[in-house]
Amino acid sequence: MTGDWGMLAAAFVDPIHIPTDPTSVLWMFPLLLAIAVVYKATKMRVLFGLKFAKEVAVLFGTVSGFMVFLGAAMIFLVKLITE
Amino acid sequence: MTTQKKVDHGLLLIVVGLAAWAVPGAGHLIIKERRRAAIIFVAVTATFLVGLYVGSIGVVDPIGAKPWYIAQLMASPAVGLIGHVTETAVTEAGQRQYVSYGRASDVGQIYTSIAGLLNLLCILSAVYMTYCGRGEMIGEEEDDG
Repeated sequence: MTGDWGMLAAAFVDPIHIPTDPTSVLWMFPLLLAIAVVYKATKMRVLFGLKFAKEVAVLFGTVSGFMVFLGAAMIFLVKLITE
Repeated sequence: MTTQKKVDHGLLLIVVGLAAWAVPGAGHLIIKERRRAAIIFVAVTATFLVGLYVGSIGVVDPIGAKPWYIAQLMASPAVGLIGHVTETAVTEAGQRQYVSYGRASDVGQIYTSIAGLLNLLCILSAVYMTYCGRGEMIGEEEDDG
């Protein structure tokens, strides 16, 4: 039992490896989901399960889409300037 | 509103605010918003724990990253204990024991700080709902139609 807790605590002592490549940007999406969930949980007057899920999905999709668009626009701008 | 009622209401606002800070979602739980409280607790706690798992407890750095630390502290006063551990734990060579570098540190720091700021939003939401008398007004949580 103590060993289990020790293993659990050890998981929070050493950082995991995240490569410095474009895939690391994918870490943005779980965070965007958390932001959408908490924002809608505080904003909606009454929490109906299905309506809440729909609103979270719409907000998550909108913010994600805009971030992807912004990323693509930045890459395009950098290519335009450097090439 | 009589003076006594005003004092009670003010006290309730403080209690709700402190509870919401101590445990994410506890403020909403006090005003009987159980579903909202559960969602907030799971979302904020999971975000913070993912941040700690990715970047290790080294991302809670009260010395080298004070602005981030203030944001992290909004998640719960318990973060102060983690900060104390990372601040005081040193190796035999006198170097800090829990440090985090690179992309993992960045991601961990962002996750934990955003979790803190999201909890700040929840604290304000809980206090505002209490101020508006929402807990008293609705009483029982409304179910899905």
